[in-house]
Amino acid sequence: MSTSTSDQAALGTADHASARARFSVRHIPLILLAPSIVLLFVFLVLPLAIIVLTSLQPNVLLTFDAPGIGNYGYMLSKSYYLAVIVRTVRIAFVTTLIGLPISFLAAILIYRLDERFRNIALMGLTFPVLTGPLAIVLGYMALLTDGGPLFGPMIELGLIPPLKLLGTETAVIISLIQFVLPFAVLTLYTAVSRIPQQLYEAVTSLGGARMSCFLHVTLPLSLPGLLSASIICFSLAASSYVSPYYLGGAAQQTLTTLISQFILATYNSQLAAAAAVLLLVVMLVTIVAITAFFRKFIR
Amino acid sequence: MSARLSSLAGLLYLATIYLFVMAPILFIVVMAFNDATSFPAPLEAFTLRWFAAILDQPVFLDAAWTSVLLAVLAAIVACCASFLSAYALWRWTWRSPDAIATFLTSPLLVPQIVMGLAMLQLAELLGLGTNFAGLVAVHAIYVMPFGLRLIMTGFSHLDLSLEEAGQSLGAGRLQTWREVTLPLLRPNLVAAFCFCFMLSFVNLPLSMFLTNPSTATLPTVMFAYIESRIDPMIAALATVIIGLAAFTTLALEKWLKIRLVG
Repeated sequence: MSTSTSDQAALGTADHASARARFSVRHIPLILLAPSIVLLFVFLVLPLAIIVLTSLQPNVLLTFDAPGIGNYGYMLSKSYYLAVIVRTVRIAFVTTLIGLPISFLAAILIYRLDERFRNIALMGLTFPVLTGPLAIVLGYMALLTDGGPLFGPMIELGLIPPLKLLGTETAVIISLIQFVLPFAVLTLYTAVSRIPQQLYEAVTSLGGARMSCFLHVTLPLSLPGLLSASIICFSLAASSYVSPYYLGGAAQQTLTTLISQFILATYNSQLAAAAAVLLLVVMLVTIVAITAFFRKFIR
Repeated sequence: MSARLSSLAGLLYLATIYLFVMAPILFIVVMAFNDATSFPAPLEAFTLRWFAAILDQPVFLDAAWTSVLLAVLAAIVACCASFLSAYALWRWTWRSPDAIATFLTSPLLVPQIVMGLAMLQLAELLGLGTNFAGLVAVHAIYVMPFGLRLIMTGFSHLDLSLEEAGQSLGAGRLQTWREVTLPLLRPNLVAAFCFCFMLSFVNLPLSMFLTNPSTATLPTVMFAYIESRIDPMIAALATVIIGLAAFTTLALEKWLKIRLVG
């Protein structure tokens, strides 16, 4: 009985077997990808869709026919919230503008170090990423005060006037540059390290100086890396919470601290959702703009 | 002469950059060992009493335990899912592997506070409130791209023919995995786990809306504490975290020879 079935299976068509093989080859990768994709859909895409729907609902502060854009209309018509949006973009933009060139030069110089020092340098960049912003911002809160070890002695000697940095945009930007720097340098280091060494030799053999190496090889070939690095810088700065909360305070509210205020202080999840969507839109628009800007130079 | 001068200028530049990056971290560490009651304070004597003071605060100890549990679970979920995805992306050719990889790393671009808010609203919609499972889920999603990146790097150094060799020598698919593929990937898997663990362990914005007093994490408790005051004890706590990050970085380099890049 069992023999006959197995015989049948053996006789039974090569077609069958190959169909089964094709089934498994085609489906195994999908099954393997399923956990990640399902997790992302259930815990990221779906919740984000819920945020968008929530932002269209009336709430304790505003009444309108649901679904409607009343929350957005409210926030975009108040100068206070407009200032928050503009500040968020400005802080992230200045952070990127200062952080990117600093990081680029650092990445080039790290690549030129000999191997042992290069490894130490790269480790020195992984370490602050793993430390996380909370411990670092705590350091800044003490470091940037007028009585702190950095400015305290100088102010006492009358070398500089009291700076009152805490609670200003400058303090937030300083700490954000420190925060994005490791990410930017690591991204740009990867880009710089992929440039073929022969290109530099070609430029020097043609009589080019260091500067022309940079202008004709390093810079153009790093453009994709610079694109990614500026997107990373801007996104990290615009979405940072700890720095603007502690170093900017109530006077320097950004979209992220506004979201937490809506949830933790005024319990308005609809306005929080609208602020979250505005933040995502701001980031998306900027990423598209940055990409378009760099595409002009990337051939 | 000018070459030496410019390389000296380069070193000076790098030293400045690293001083800038390390300054707030070093300052916290110094303050944690300083025997003064205020913060920041001029240097007095060396002391370990602020570290001892942490042990008298059950709130911090409970929160630290919650954070460890949360980070371990999030890292396990993220690494398992990423391992399977990375294997699929490496083993099979796709029409658009980049599109799939981009989708899988998309959580990197979503602000963490928005992820936390989104998860809160999903939980409220389902009538779950602030529960631990939601916290694990959102942390796992957040660390997944980092895990995926490190595991994909491991696969990219792997030779597909090794797996075929194992199978042609008569090993089954599972046995090949267990005896060939997995051991070769072990350093990257361990690195991915450590990375995911640390990133989850120190994260504040993801957890802010999702914790309640019984599931408070170390960063949320520190956040609440800093709101009322800053003292050397909180610097000591931050120093413990800094030490953990330093140890992880060194361990990854020394034993696993794995970095984010390079």
